[in-house]
Amino acid sequence: MDENLIPISFTINGEKVSKRILPSLILIDLIRDQLQLKGTKPGCLEGECGACTVLVNGSAVNSCLYMAVNIDGKEILTIEGLSSIEQPLHPIQEKMLEHGAVQCGFCTCGIVLTTKAFGEECKKEGKIPTRKEVKKSLEGHLCRCTGYVKIIDAAEDYLTHPSV
Amino acid sequence: MNFNIESPTSKEELLNCLRNHQSGYFRLAAGFTDLLIELKKSKTEELTVINLSQIKDKQFTGIDIQPSGIRIGALVNVAQIGKNQSIRKSFPVLQQAADALASGQIREVATIGGNICQASPSGDLSCALVALKASCEILKMDGTIRHESLNDFFRGPAVTSLQKNEVLKSIVIPANQTNKLKSGFIKIGKRSAMECSIVSISYHFQLGADAAILHSGIAIGAVAPTVIFCREAADFLHKLNVNKIHETDQLKVAELIQQSASPIDDQRASAWYRNEVLFNSAKSIFEQD
Repeated sequence: MDENLIPISFTINGEKVSKRILPSLILIDLIRDQLQLKGTKPGCLEGECGACTVLVNGSAVNSCLYMAVNIDGKEILTIEGLSSIEQPLHPIQEKMLEHGAVQCGFCTCGIVLTTKAFGEECKKEGKIPTRKEVKKSLEGHLCRCTGYVKIIDAAEDYLTHPSV
Repeated sequence: MNFNIESPTSKEELLNCLRNHQSGYFRLAAGFTDLLIELKKSKTEELTVINLSQIKDKQFTGIDIQPSGIRIGALVNVAQIGKNQSIRKSFPVLQQAADALASGQIREVATIGGNICQASPSGDLSCALVALKASCEILKMDGTIRHESLNDFFRGPAVTSLQKNEVLKSIVIPANQTNKLKSGFIKIGKRSAMECSIVSISYHFQLGADAAILHSGIAIGAVAPTVIFCREAADFLHKLNVNKIHETDQLKVAELIQQSASPIDDQRASAWYRNEVLFNSAKSIFEQD
């Protein structure tokens, strides 16, 4: 079996990693089971719920539907990569807390990362998104606790105050 | 779920992969957003997946704008289509369909080629592309290209004309012949995100002086075994003023569109409901603005 392993190199949360993986390994399993980064949540595992969202080269993708072989040469950011000792919580996370947008928290990591990606995109285009656009940006996430209003409030608050 | 994967990085490597696997079972995949869901549920063993997403060849990965039309590589993802300024300007129906497809995370990886080759009757991009009279450029194992209109490419639900020794290389949309357009995508579902259509309608009208419809394309999705081009309705609209379509003509267009459909009952909607929604949505095309 070992000769079937495929070598890949990538960057995750700023750290360079080289691994030999099974051809059919899915990104979420690489992240959770091999790299022990448990902040990426397995929800529906079929691309509906967005809990497993990570950033690949800055774009939000469902890690449950992404082949690990295809991250070769790419940059991955998971929720763990947003924290540092100096700044334990990213401003998006602060906003989520401020607005009471976190209840059970299962969907939160994915939503924070999608909001980060959308924020970068808005910054690049030099635009402040409307509430409708903020809602649209979060369409790939399900939350069974909050009813979404507070999540959208938090994301909108962050995205419309680009100075942070 | 356990399968072998081969990742060609050029057209030549891809052709070699195809040649090597002609005698066995293999699948092609690019974004994997559909295939992984299928494979997670299946018990297929001894499967090889030819992973197209590492091919670095502009013919597969680029959007090429020419005076005669626009060529979109099969590996271009849905987000790229949604954000492309030329597509936004010249083919709003396609941009809107791209924007309505699944979710942001799926759009970043799902490809136009995958959406087409799935041949889902409710495929969002497929519907828009049929209305735009797009055609396929299919790479054969011997390196030659086969051309086929997208409308003919679709043969049934999840069935295309693609042979085992072929791979979809690119899609060509003919350039507009006029600058004035009325073009859009209507998607009816139970919710507004992550939805598979109950009914979809794509329309693309090229207008001449006095807003007369000179070239028209209308396609409907999720109401027949394949996406359907509504030829009778498109012909009926010829030379009519797009802003002054009388209510009796609106009803006639809706009726003609409805006649090209043959919906079935399924978990998302009944055939009766699909017919009603199709009629009313078709009528609404000329009520907008």
